[in-house]
Amino acid sequence: MQTLIDELLSQQATLQTPAARFAEIHERSPDLDDHYKQLIPLSKPGPGEQYAFEVALDRCTGCKACVSACHSLNGLDEHESWRDVGLLLGGGQAPDWQQTVTTACHHCEDPGCLNGCPVGAYEKEADTGIVRHLDDQCIGCSYCILKCPYDVPKYSKKRGIVRKCDMCHQRLSAGEAPACVQACPTEAIRIVNVRSQGSGDRNHTLNFFNQKSTIQNHQSSIPSSHITLPTTRYTGRDVPHTHFAADRSALIPQHAHWPLVLMLTLTQAGIGLCGGDFQAPSPFFPHTIIGAILFYLGMAASVFHLGHPLKAWRFFLGLKTSWLSREILAFSLFAPIPLLLCVLPHLPEFPLKHHFILLTAHSTLPIGLLAIFTSVMIYHDTHRALWKLPRTALRFFGTTACFASLGIPMLLIPLLLLKLTPELLFLRHASATEWSPDQHSARLQLGPLRPILIARIACALLVLPAALFHPLAALPILLAAEILERQLFFQSVQSPKMPGGFAN
Amino acid sequence: MFDRLLKQHTGPLTRDLVQTPGDFGLGKVPARLKPAAATVSICGYCATGCQLKIHLDDKGEAINLSPQAGYPVNLGMACPKGWQALDPLAASDRATTPLLRDASGQLVHCDWSTALRTFTEKFHSIKKNHGHEAAAFLSTGQIPFEEMAFLGCLWKFGMGFLHGDANTRQCMATAVTAYKQSFGFDAPPASYADFEESDVIVLVGSNLCIAHPILWQRIMRNKRNPHIIVIDPRATETAQAATQHIRLKPKGDLAFLYSLAHCIIREGRIDADSLANTVGYEAFADFVKHHSPEKNEACTGISIAETEAFARLVSDPAKRVSWWWTMGVNQSHEGVRTAQAMINLALITGNIGKPGTGANSITGQCNAMGSRLFSNTTSLVGGHDFANAEHRQKVATILGIPTACIPDSASLAYDEILDAAAAGKIKALWIVATNPFHSWIDQEKLLRLRENLEFLVVQDMYHSTESARVADLVLPAAGWGEKEGCFINSERRIGTTKAVRKAPGIALSDFRIFRLIAEAWGCGEMFSRWTTPEAAFLILRDLTKDRPCDISCIQGYDHLDAMGGIQWPFPESNATLPRERRLFADGRYYHPDGKARFLFDPPSELPEAPDEAFPFLLLTGRGTSSQWHTQSRTAKSDILQKLSPAEPYVEIHPEDARALGVSENDHVIIRSRRGEVRARVYAAPTVSRGEVFLPMHYPEVNRLTHSSFDPHSRQPNYKACAVSLRRSLS
Repeated sequence: MQTLIDELLSQQATLQTPAARFAEIHERSPDLDDHYKQLIPLSKPGPGEQYAFEVALDRCTGCKACVSACHSLNGLDEHESWRDVGLLLGGGQAPDWQQTVTTACHHCEDPGCLNGCPVGAYEKEADTGIVRHLDDQCIGCSYCILKCPYDVPKYSKKRGIVRKCDMCHQRLSAGEAPACVQACPTEAIRIVNVRSQGSGDRNHTLNFFNQKSTIQNHQSSIPSSHITLPTTRYTGRDVPHTHFAADRSALIPQHAHWPLVLMLTLTQAGIGLCGGDFQAPSPFFPHTIIGAILFYLGMAASVFHLGHPLKAWRFFLGLKTSWLSREILAFSLFAPIPLLLCVLPHLPEFPLKHHFILLTAHSTLPIGLLAIFTSVMIYHDTHRALWKLPRTALRFFGTTACFASLGIPMLLIPLLLLKLTPELLFLRHASATEWSPDQHSARLQLGPLRPILIARIACALLVLPAALFHPLAALPILLAAEILERQLFFQSVQSPKMPGGFAN
Repeated sequence: MFDRLLKQHTGPLTRDLVQTPGDFGLGKVPARLKPAAATVSICGYCATGCQLKIHLDDKGEAINLSPQAGYPVNLGMACPKGWQALDPLAASDRATTPLLRDASGQLVHCDWSTALRTFTEKFHSIKKNHGHEAAAFLSTGQIPFEEMAFLGCLWKFGMGFLHGDANTRQCMATAVTAYKQSFGFDAPPASYADFEESDVIVLVGSNLCIAHPILWQRIMRNKRNPHIIVIDPRATETAQAATQHIRLKPKGDLAFLYSLAHCIIREGRIDADSLANTVGYEAFADFVKHHSPEKNEACTGISIAETEAFARLVSDPAKRVSWWWTMGVNQSHEGVRTAQAMINLALITGNIGKPGTGANSITGQCNAMGSRLFSNTTSLVGGHDFANAEHRQKVATILGIPTACIPDSASLAYDEILDAAAAGKIKALWIVATNPFHSWIDQEKLLRLRENLEFLVVQDMYHSTESARVADLVLPAAGWGEKEGCFINSERRIGTTKAVRKAPGIALSDFRIFRLIAEAWGCGEMFSRWTTPEAAFLILRDLTKDRPCDISCIQGYDHLDAMGGIQWPFPESNATLPRERRLFADGRYYHPDGKARFLFDPPSELPEAPDEAFPFLLLTGRGTSSQWHTQSRTAKSDILQKLSPAEPYVEIHPEDARALGVSENDHVIIRSRRGEVRARVYAAPTVSRGEVFLPMHYPEVNRLTHSSFDPHSRQPNYKACAVSLRRSLS
């Protein structure tokens, strides 16, 4: 018996080698060549044109072969694919209507990812219009993920960078079709040459799914095409105006981005403490030193948000379009100030020392507030409802103001209430009958994020008595309150994206 | 210039994605996955039977795959399950050694000698003490038919037991019975080319877009601008994509099909030539007189006008009409008669044996069709009949075994085996490559029955399936991709699969496990010619001689590969036989008189209709194209998991949701008389009011289903039972 067991185990462990009978060895042109020749353009895009995906909705039935093919033919990580399939529902106008939607990068005319990247890790190819990501240039800051209205770039923890669809540019340049185009059993995806709309025409950008209409359906949860001018065309089936994404109301909190939560709150606290107009430095409340420590801790935290911090020195490449570049610049300018504020008074006398001290003190607030303004703009520039300029400015500058008035309870208490009030008023959106990004965010805060919301409010209210007692007692509580506020800011944002499927 | 110096266009991260010509007709592939060789293998999931090209490294190990261009089934395409077919092989819960339950109740590792000794001792003792009917195997449509045949022959001829059935009972038993009774042999007549040749394509209880995406591809290639009609209570993906959706009431299909026949006969739109090849038309015409659309409207939910218009469409003599059905028909308490109602319609309108016609079953599992011919369960191996003495003699001679070894009766059906186990008559079960503790109807009943079994053996790729977890002995099996053999697809096409990965640990192919058991049992001699799957294939081939499924001219695996698969029958060496063939072009069926039969019965009541306490009707079915049955494999692929909801969800009409006070994404408790399930609400008008739909892939779902069966095929009625819903507070 044992002999047979051993013999069969040994057979089981033997594979036919490539030289064996079933191996098929030829160099030849791709077998699917004939199939996809008609699915890609005969010629490269002409002047004023670019490549774009065209999806025939009436041919897509949601088999998702495109997703698998993208994964397999591009050799992506276990869970990684650059294409996704979601579902659109007809809504009030056509309640029975459904349509699966396959989506990859839209290779936008005015790509949010490219504009937001601080180090120029995105390029739009001049001849094809393909938006390429330079993997070795990327610092893994993830700002492109926030900037893309379609949730296209995806962060790879293993690699510390983002990756995204490159329209299989290597295949296209060899006359082969992209993986998804090759793999669609019903030929629903093709590559076409499209004429650029040009940014001047932006107000007349067509609605994504209703090619005949420029009316945006704000309840659809599908982002407006005005932001980045996506080039993908969806054809073949009329989409009811009341359409919406099947995953619209799934209450899934967004990534908390802890390094960013800490970076924002700590730098804003630090700037407030350093720049606050306290009567006189008190040995019982060394606000400058505390401010400096918090600020530098915040700066340190920001590094943890980068997959490849050593490559971040190239930040100036994005200054023209990226608020993140500008933020890095502004914070670099501000960075010496807290240190100088702490150290200068204790240095031995040198010429103009007093003037230096005055200059440092007087530049603290202007430069600090400028730096915070760049932070505000980073989020405003993502076009997300919760992160609009007034809302973000109120939060960020509000935090600074609270810390600046930490030693003056009569100022701190109204400021804190002023900051808290809109946060609480925002929650009323949860009861809106119609879907909106605000309704979604409010429901997230009252739903899965409720414990954080309660903790946030409780900490904020606790600050009030503590501040009357001593600034040092109020400080950690205020810090906790603001960190929780910022966590809610990140986690409850409605992040625009293409339609997903129900619960997946 | 300076800007360029600042840009890293290359580097290690960029190189990860660099592509290179893959050769072997592949086009560009990732450079680090460039194959050193390639081979082909039929996909191991569904019965479409797509051929995949496996990319091999220089050790012959699979590193990637892509669908095979030019294969007459899939034409270079595959669904996500096919694309990800290698993923489940690397799962961490693979069974790597035999596992034996010890005195403390734990499953512990053991070697093959111990496992085989335990196996044979237990089954010998059960046979000695309780007789040859006291044990049964429950097998599968997921393994090559060489393995199915080995199991069936070993169990019945070698070990001398009588009962064994397979999960194909849950899948296509209805189609088998319908064809056997109507045509005289289990012979699905179609070729996939018929999808492209048809003018009117009627899909009954079939969500083709999701369950068989590659067959939908064939419909999309139809250049005749076909009418595509979906008959289904649910607005499935396929119904959305069709040109017409006939949204009938659940289980209204039989009455509706009879009403169609009524209208067609009433208007004289019958085909006399076709009827000349049939027996029993008069009785059928008489019978359907009582099934006017007026009379059946209440039960079908389809208006008289719509029924009449549709009857005219499917009897238009200028149009090629094809009927296709899947599990909506098969998994029904009256599925056989429903399938035969379609066969009857094809017969009376002459839509059979011609391009683009037929009453065609689309099978579920990759080798359900192989099981139909070779599993040696319901029919004697090779398309024979246990009750037929000549057949027994023929099989015994070819196998070189005494005729007396072959029983003269078929096995009990799946549900009857389980009933016998519940009654204590069957003491041991050997489960091979299937997961009944997830998939069998009315799950709790099966769990109770487990307590009655003296010995439960589960032979599977994974030690983690619901069934393996309750086994006394787990035998570790190699999976698809780790062994060779043949599958037969829905259009009767035989194709090969290949070993392209090593099995983990000391797992063995089912074929090799059966060899070991034959040896350990003491009947190794009887199977001395069954050395490899291909050797077994040649024996099985010889068995089919002179049967309708005669494949006696297939030379071997190389021949199958060279021909792009071969459809049965393939009785004589004839290189001019077209690649895609349909049956019955000559109007001759397999009954001794060469004529087809009309079979019919009045529609019966729902086995468990909704009532006040359980006011909803529960439908079940395929969730997405990325989920397969009990998900023992598809759950092991990250990509496939991304493509389907992780937790159970229930489709419910928005008005019903409102009435229950639940909104989308809330949780509800769904309760039947047998159990309850918690699921997330998906409010969509894809189901009608009073109906809810649950995808079958979640292990909880069969706690709810109702144990009722088609009387002819013994196939379970998964798709209709009464449930109640309430909001879940947790």
